Formats: sequence, structure tokens, C-alpha cells
Amino acid sequence: KMNYMPGTASLIEDIDKKHLVVLRDGRTLIGYLRSVDQFANLVLHRTVERIHVGRKYGDIPRGIFVVRGENVVLLGEIDLERETDTPLQRVSIEEILEAQRVQQHEKQEAEKAKSEALRERGLSVPRTDTLDEY
Amino acid sequence: MLGAPSARRRGQWRRSGWVSDGVARVGAMSRDMFALSDRQSLDDSPIEEDEEALQEEDHDIDQFNDDTFGPGAVEDWEEQHDGLADPTGDPDDLLKESNLAESISKLVIDSDLEDPAIMRAVPSNPPLQAPPRPNPSMWEGPMVFGGIGNPFLSHLEDGRALSGSKDSILPKRPAFGRGEERDLSDRAPPPRSSSPVIGSPPVRTAPIGTPPKHMSHPTSTQQPSILCPTPVHVRAPIHQRFSAPFNERMSPTQLLNVANSSLRAHHFQSGVTQVLNPLLLGTAQQTGRMSPSHFARVPGLMGSPLTVMNTNLLQSRIGQMMPPITGFQPYFSPAATGQLQSIRSSQSMFRADTTHLHPQHRRLLNQRLQLQNSRNQHRGQNGSGGDRHSRGSYHEQVKKDPYSNLMTQREKEWVSKIQMMQLQSADPYLDDYYYQNYFERLEKKQAALDLNNEGPRKEKKERMKLITPQVAKLEHIYRPVQFEGSLGKLTVSSVNNPRKMIDAVVTTRSDDDETKEKQVRDKRRQTLFTIERTYSLVLEVQDLEKKFLQVSEEERPAVLEHRKAKIALMYENLRGKQPPSSDRVSDDHFVQVMCIRKGKRLAAKVLLFLSTEQAANVVLATARNLPYLVKKDSQDEVLPCLTEACSILVSRLPSSALTELLQQLTGSTPSGQPGNHFPTILQNKFGLTLFYMILSQGERLQSSEASSELMQDNRWTELVFAVIRVLLKVPQASLAKPSFVPTNLLTLFSHYVDRQTLSLLESKLQLSGKLR
Repeated sequence: KMNYMPGTASLIEDIDKKHLVVLRDGRTLIGYLRSVDQFANLVLHRTVERIHVGRKYGDIPRGIFVVRGENVVLLGEIDLERETDTPLQRVSIEEILEAQRVQQHEKQEAEKAKSEALRERGLSVPRTDTLDEY
Repeated sequence: MLGAPSARRRGQWRRSGWVSDGVARVGAMSRDMFALSDRQSLDDSPIEEDEEALQEEDHDIDQFNDDTFGPGAVEDWEEQHDGLADPTGDPDDLLKESNLAESISKLVIDSDLEDPAIMRAVPSNPPLQAPPRPNPSMWEGPMVFGGIGNPFLSHLEDGRALSGSKDSILPKRPAFGRGEERDLSDRAPPPRSSSPVIGSPPVRTAPIGTPPKHMSHPTSTQQPSILCPTPVHVRAPIHQRFSAPFNERMSPTQLLNVANSSLRAHHFQSGVTQVLNPLLLGTAQQTGRMSPSHFARVPGLMGSPLTVMNTNLLQSRIGQMMPPITGFQPYFSPAATGQLQSIRSSQSMFRADTTHLHPQHRRLLNQRLQLQNSRNQHRGQNGSGGDRHSRGSYHEQVKKDPYSNLMTQREKEWVSKIQMMQLQSADPYLDDYYYQNYFERLEKKQAALDLNNEGPRKEKKERMKLITPQVAKLEHIYRPVQFEGSLGKLTVSSVNNPRKMIDAVVTTRSDDDETKEKQVRDKRRQTLFTIERTYSLVLEVQDLEKKFLQVSEEERPAVLEHRKAKIALMYENLRGKQPPSSDRVSDDHFVQVMCIRKGKRLAAKVLLFLSTEQAANVVLATARNLPYLVKKDSQDEVLPCLTEACSILVSRLPSSALTELLQQLTGSTPSGQPGNHFPTILQNKFGLTLFYMILSQGERLQSSEASSELMQDNRWTELVFAVIRVLLKVPQASLAKPSFVPTNLLTLFSHYVDRQTLSLLESKLQLSGKLR
């Protein structure tokens, strides 16, 4: 069948192509989409987890990923020709993980300061357990 | 007599419900125990049995118990155990035939074989004796699987399923000689980490490590042992025992019996499935060979799994762990079955990739690819549903990507089918409003573009649109399950059939109880309800209009009627019930509605549906009460939403109505004096805009008709003079910024004032058209 469901977001056409997938927990995966199902569960092949910190990024090879559909925020096909055409700088895994750690730390500090400030003013901090914030 | 023992046995099992899993029993003691319990449970059916028979039965019973309740559960045990009514009993035969060491016979008879503790306790290392048979290989003669023998070996040569040399699963696979095999059999087998899949193909009961008869070289093709997940650490000499009784006529249970007992000689964990799948054996018994149907899910791989199993067993070393099942599953997954053929053939097997494939996995993939190769050599398959650029480049792409088309065509269609099914709807405008609207607009745009572009008659390019079938809406009334002849109904409460948990009754309070506040609140609430109802009416009318366009000619009048009725209702809801006498006009209800933000928006929507007369009525009421409404709207500032509707109306108004409107707006008395509140209207955006609109319309009417009615009416002229006076008085800063300024106001004023005043007005109201 040539055209699977024109005008819709069917993933059949995207199979065997390289995709970038953003998950609800904030991870970014890049891999070849091998299989889908009616829930948009994905099977990614030769997956690489890309961590972005600032203008730098690092890739961690992960192998095969099976992602439950509900955890996908968005996904899009990667243009292989333009894939390397990015202003971002690729660094080693160790470096990016370190950068990420620092970033997380800073965020936590900021969050702490914010909640402290709110508490001083008698306001409560909203709980963000149910939100997909990262 | 024959029948009775089996019956008794069955009864015993049912009553006692023995589960022999992992029960630590020690040798003879436990046997005695069981013997006792045998007899105890026999109270109701006293049948004289001799000792020997009892003992034999004990052994059988234990075994059978294990089959029934333990991990080696056999499905149709009743049938099978019928066959065991034979009083001669197989173990005895075997014993007699074998001239092996005593421990082996012990192994056969001894029921306490599962327990590792027992195993170690019992000296179970018989010195392996050379088989008395002349032929060196144990594989000759009657085969292990009664009657299913040589076909296996012949399949060894079948290169179909077996690819080139593969990595050994068990890396330390040696080139076996007989001697080594004997040594190895002495070792206790290692514990298994995972239990095999129940229903898996049968494990070879033949000992591992024994080279097959026709194997050319030890390192030949070796399929994943995943197919035979349980390690069969059967000692080499055991097979001797098999040779005689294993004939065509052996019942499956006998086979099972023997095989299991032999296997029990070794250190199995209780979780391990008893090896020989009796079903398989049973059918094998009949057919004389393993048929592919046994491996129901792998139709295309007939003999191969067995050969594979065979070779693997023969080759792998005792003491090695069989790889876990993980590799096994994908092999039998539905995707791997008949659908393999749709995968394009590919030459390169492995790519350097970041994943480290388990050797098993790699082998699986190899095998898969091989199959595909053999099947799809000349088939041109369009794998991914995408577009092809050129055959060459596509081939190249696919060549480089051996993992493409893992998802077969059938699977893609299957998923598509599900997605399509989800799109079926009885009323697409209801279910999928945004999609429908979006595509409508898209098509309109395309049509417009096409119209523009069309010089010579071009082919209209068709936009691909998904056409979903329109299904009739089926009313599914869920009825909970009811059984025939049962007393009462099942208490079932589910998502489809929720049970009423709380009986909430609406009670209306009497007027005495209510305080003024509550009354006010109630009134407001009622107004809100009215607004909601009217909104629904608006939506219904919109739907009717859409329906009108789609429905046939005959049905159209009916649709129109509906529409009209709804609009009348709308008007009534908005305007409020008017008293029959036309003198007193009650604006209360309307004002109530207009004080609510949503009410104003509603009015804007409703105005578009109303006839000129009714719309004029509404706008008049608005104008009449505008000072009050302006005050109320100071926070929301939603009045300007009425602008568009009002402008449409005003442009349709005849002169008399227009004059009336102006009078109402200015709050003028009959004498022509504008009301006190008029300046406040000028300070409001909507008010000012409406004012300008009226004046503009007046000018239009004036200029268009030769003998203008408007001019003939004194009122109009008086009113205009009055408002001009007010305009001149009002400070410029207090004037609101209107939504728009009509261009013909200057012309209008020029009829009434001198040039000086005109220029004054022009600058004040900024009528010259300059941007502010």
C-alpha cells in the first residue's frame, strides 16, 4: 500500500527511518524506528541517548529501545543529509554527563531558593509530582 | 482387575492431591510413608494387592503425581494413565534387560530423584561400561524418540535452516570423544537459571556430548539451543536402557516415563519442565516422525529446529549452561513466523553496530536472513511504506540496512487497519470536528488557488484525503450477563454498567426560606442556565445549517422548519418573554443576560441569526440600557464583541428605526434633549462605535435617496443637532477610542454646521482619517 493514511499521523510511513524521540521524562532518543503498533509503542534500533546541556551534546549508545507509546512527547524524522548541520558542539560522554550533573545541581539549588522564598512569604509551593516537568 | 487399579490410582490422586514438587524425601522412608498413605486412603475401596504391585504403583504414582500436579503436567493424564494399567510395568522390563550397574536401576525405580540432596547422597556414579552393542554410536538402532530417529539425522544434512558457521553457544565446546563424555557425565549439572517454556519442543533425552552418527565435523552447524531449553544431562549409558523399549509401539506415557525417570537422575530444579512434551511424543508415536505441526508456530522451519536441537545437544558440553530463554522467544514470535518471507534478502549479515549481539541473537538473525534469502531471492518487496526514489539507490540503502523491514507488510497493514477502525464514525463532524474543518479549509484554499492559477484548463490536483467509511451509529445497550435458570441476577458493576451508589435527590426549597440574597443568586443561576440553553440552540442551528447543505431536496424544508423554530426559541430566551401588550417593554431579563459576560457574547451570536426586526428589537434594548450596561461592563469590556453584529444590523435599518435607535441611544427625551448619560456612552468604546455607526448609516440613507425620509423626519435632524452640541462640549480626552471611524461622518456634519464648527469637530473626533 503506497500511502498509509494520508493526512493523519500514522507512523507506518516512518518505519526504518531515523527518528528523534523526546520522552516524557526529558530524555532524547535517536534511533531507527523499526516497529510500531496501535498505541504508538515504538521499537527503536541502534538507539542513542543524546544529552543536551547548553550548546553541547553527547551521545550514549543504548541499543534497542522499546518505548511505551504514552511516554512519547513527540517524535520526528531526522534528515540524514542535514543531521550534522547543527550549531551544537559534540562532546564526550563523560563531559556531557558532568555538565548535566552541574546543570541539575544548579536547578535544584534554584528550586530550593525559590521554595524558601515562597515559604518566607507564607505561600506554598505547588507539588509537581503529577506533572511531566524535568 | 486391570481397570480397578487405575481407578484407584486416580481416586488417590484426587483425594490426596499430592504435589511432588521439591519435596524432600529420603529414600525408602518416604516410600514407606506413601505406601502407608496409600493404604490409608484405600479404606473405601478395599482391594487386595500384593506388595510388589503396590511398590510398583507407588513409583508410578509419584511419577504420575508429578506429571499431573507438578511442573511436568500432562494434559490428558487420564488417557495416558489408562495405558499404565498394564500390570507388567516398564521399569521392571528395563531392569531385567539392563545389565548395568545397580545404581542405574536404582535411578530408574527410585522415586526420590528430584531432590539434589538425595542425588548427592546416593552414590550415583556408575562406572560407565562400554555398551555391549557392536556399533560405537548410540544413535544407531532404535532411536531415542520412539520411532522418530533417523529422520533427525537425515535432517542434519539439511542446510536450509542452517547458515554458515556460527559462534558456538557454549564456547568451550570440545571435540568429544567417548572418554570425555564419560568423565563429564560424572559431574553434577549446574543449576538452571531460568525455566524452559512450557510447550517447547522436546528436549533430547539422549545424552549430550555424544557425537551424532553422521556428523562430519564437530564444529558444524549449531543452532541455538534455545529450542531445547532444558539441559539434558543424561548420562551416556542410560541410553542403553532406551534402546530396547523404544519402539514404535511404545505409548507416549511410557516414553515420558522412561525419559523423565532418566532425566530425574540428574540435578534438575523443580521448576524445570519435565522434558519430553508428551503431546509431541504422543503424536510422534502415531506418525513415526516429528511433524511440523508440533512446532505449530514455525511452519516454515520443518525439520530444522529438530536438527538444530539435535546437533546442539550432541555437541554441547555437559556442564554448560544452556543459554536463557530470551533468545528463544523471538524465534517463535509471530513476527518471525511465516512473515519472514516478506523481508528482503540481504547480503551483509552484520553491521558494526553499537549493540553487542548475544551470540544466540546473532545466530537467530543469521538464520532469519538465510530464510529470507532462500525465500525471497527474486521477490521485489517494498519494505517500508514510503516512497522509492530509484531502484538502485533504494537497493543500496536496503543493502546497508539489514534490519529493515523487521515490521512486515502484514503487520503494517494490521496496524493500519486498527487505526482506520478507530477513525470510523457515525458523525465525523461530531467526532472529529477539527480534522474535518481543517481539511475543508485546506480544500477551499486549494480551490481558490486553483482558480487563480488556472489559465488554460489545468488538471485539478487532488489532495490526498483520508476517506473513512461512515458507519451508522449503533446503540449499544449494555446488558449484564445473565444466566439461565439461575436464581437472581449477578451483581455486576462495570464501566459499561455502573451501579448507582448514591441516591441524590434534588430538593427545591420553598420561597419562605429564601433570603433576598439567595433569591438574587437563584435568579442569576437561572439566567446562566438560560444562556447555556441558548448556546446549545445556536450550536444546533449551526449543525442544521450544515445538514441542510448535505441533505436531499425533499428533506430541506423540514430542516428549515427546525431551524426556524430554534431561532424563535433563541430569541425568546435572549429577549425574555414580552408581555402581550406592546406598550410596556420588559428589558429586565435581557439586561440580566447582558450583564453576564457570556450573555453578551451570546447576544452577538444570536443577532446574526435573527431577522432584521427582531435584531433591531434587541439592539434597541441594548441601546436603551446602554449606560447601565456600560457600567456593568467596565471590568469585562466584552461589549465590543457586539460591534460586528450591530454594524450588520444598522446597515440594514430603515430610517424610522434608525431614528428610533439614535433616540434610544442618546437617551433623548421626545423634546430632543439628550439624556444625562449620553456622555458616558461616548466614553465607552462600544457606545461610541455604535453612535458613529448610526450616524454613518444616516448619512448613507440621506445621500442615497433623492427624497430622503430621514430628512423629512424632524426628529433625526433635531437629534443630530443635539449630539453635535454634546460633541462640541465633551472634552476630547474623555472620548473613547472607537473600533472604527466611518469616513462619511464629516459629510454628515457638513450638512448641519458651518465650516468653522466642522473643522472643530474634525479635529476633535479625528475624522480626517489620519492615524492616531
